[in-house]
Amino acid sequence: MSDGVLTREQLGHLRHWDNLSRQLPNDWSQMHGKGVSQDDFGGYRFQLAYMVYGLALAHRHQLPAAPGLFAPTIRRLIEKLLMPEVWLYWRDVSRGGSVFNAHLSDRLGEEWDPVARDNIMYSAYVQSCAALHDQLFGTDHYAAPGSLTFRHWSFFWGGPEKRFAYDRDSLTEHLYWLMVESGYLGVACEPNCVFQICNQPAILGFRLHDQITGGTRADDVVAGYEKAWADFGRLDAGGHYAMMISEDTREVRPNERPSPWVDAWCGALMNTWNHDFVHRHYRRQVADFLEPGPDGTLSVPSAPARQVMGQEIVSDTCDLGWVAAWASEMGDRETLDGLLAHADRFMNPTWRDGGLHYSRNDTPADPDGRRTEIEPMSGNVLLGYARLNVPDGLRGIYQQPWPAGHHEEPRLTAVDRDVEVSRAEVVDGVLHARLRRDRTVPGDGTVTLAGLPAGARLRLGGAEITPRVRFVLDVPDGPAVDLVAAS
Amino acid sequence: MTAPPLRATYSLVDHHGTPVTERTYRGRWQLVQFGFTSCRVVCPRALAKLDDVLDRLGAHAAAVAPLYVTVDPDRDTPERMKAFLGATHPRFTGLTGTAQQTGDAAASFRVFTRRRATPAGYDVQHTAITYLLDPDAAPARYWSDTRTAEAIATDLAALLTAPRA
Repeated sequence: MSDGVLTREQLGHLRHWDNLSRQLPNDWSQMHGKGVSQDDFGGYRFQLAYMVYGLALAHRHQLPAAPGLFAPTIRRLIEKLLMPEVWLYWRDVSRGGSVFNAHLSDRLGEEWDPVARDNIMYSAYVQSCAALHDQLFGTDHYAAPGSLTFRHWSFFWGGPEKRFAYDRDSLTEHLYWLMVESGYLGVACEPNCVFQICNQPAILGFRLHDQITGGTRADDVVAGYEKAWADFGRLDAGGHYAMMISEDTREVRPNERPSPWVDAWCGALMNTWNHDFVHRHYRRQVADFLEPGPDGTLSVPSAPARQVMGQEIVSDTCDLGWVAAWASEMGDRETLDGLLAHADRFMNPTWRDGGLHYSRNDTPADPDGRRTEIEPMSGNVLLGYARLNVPDGLRGIYQQPWPAGHHEEPRLTAVDRDVEVSRAEVVDGVLHARLRRDRTVPGDGTVTLAGLPAGARLRLGGAEITPRVRFVLDVPDGPAVDLVAAS
Repeated sequence: MTAPPLRATYSLVDHHGTPVTERTYRGRWQLVQFGFTSCRVVCPRALAKLDDVLDRLGAHAAAVAPLYVTVDPDRDTPERMKAFLGATHPRFTGLTGTAQQTGDAAASFRVFTRRRATPAGYDVQHTAITYLLDPDAAPARYWSDTRTAEAIATDLAALLTAPRA
């Protein structure tokens, strides 16, 4: 953001996310990772959820007076998050069989409900994204019974329809009690595998739900979580975040290689409730991962792919993307700028339909050894997330809900697809926005205002205007224009 | 706060050796805390807090049945629970049983328990939530370990004095 106005690149990321949110059902173009069956960071759930998180950060910290720009996109992304293609993997993964839980597979059955047990790597995103939506926009949209329903039926297989109906409140309650049953150590992802990282979104979701309903679940869970992990330590012997713990043996798996994504992902999220701890260890941890390049660029080499049971693990590490997101949350501008500069120079930034992304590239490095490999999660989402975040941005959402009266303030309550909003804030009761008609995408070119005082006067590009329809403005072609709405 | 999603059933013996279930105390509000008499930190603090809650309720406390359910049936016999509670928290009734019975009770309240070796032998990690069952023995409320006596007493007093359908 420059002088309160989003940069071209920041706007490009927002446009790309909006474009992805509008892809037809089951069109996952540009989102396929290396792996199969929604394994690991190749899973659509992560891209969808972190686009929602990134949009939330941008709205909360960059464009607070533009709910109409963000709410529809977030709802479309949540709709995709509920699609069977995103969660059907659980039917198979719930049976166990990974190297961590092979010994349990005899007692594990097929589970269709993707949030019933374990799988916090999915359920917490549904929970937290719905809560983010409702908290940010002051609505009970996802409190409606069945508003978070997981449904699947196929003409070709699987028998009767599978339907599991939840909503914001029932899903939060369900996850809370799973936390209780775990002794607050956390809910597993794959059976028996409790990752520190993957329980952080649930804590964020509890907090947002508390902000909406007045509860204290987040404080309860954090207090229990601190006690539960005190026996094991959040950091491993090398000073990096412990990755996971096995439920049955209580064996902690360290960040042994170490892998950048483990520290970066965990630090970026845990900062919400554990600021001092995360910041205290950040500089030392991140120094282990950064590789200087030309002209101030910084890269993040990935650890070599692991060999397990005679197999090479195929996965999207997203190391550079996650370190960028982490640096943005830590307010480490120098590191963030270096990483973004590397991406812009070596990772083929691509503009399409007005949106900016970095296309998947599986080639590890260029002839000079500069990292070129980038995954959909990093290229579609995390670099944009990092660009749009502010220091302690996710923490701000966790700690500081909107001030009282925010939802009644002057605002852009609807924004057509072809309108670019680079500024939207209320200063001393006056709405200031910067708008540009973007003819590269379809739309009617209007914005709709709400919350204006009676008799409010509108100035667009310096000239006073009277909208043809009350509170609906036509954004003119040409360069961006400033809108000022005051009494 | 809505009623917690629990079965909240049990079949145990009280510290007099009498078989009890959640229906035994129908007509009173059951204030249920899980723990074990050898616990050094969490349980003494929780029981002291609940004593404070009962004090704050005054005469209304007569409508409450304070219950202390063991998660350590190997050591917590009825006799031991009676001696422990009689000496320290006499308003509480201790409930124990076989390992299967106490395990079932913990599961029905979604209580986490795990035996952990210590230099002195073992202790039992457990959830320290306080539960309330209504006079029909249905789950009504819960309070986490972080809730203060004042907060619990305020909630509880409101329930005890509210007209019931």
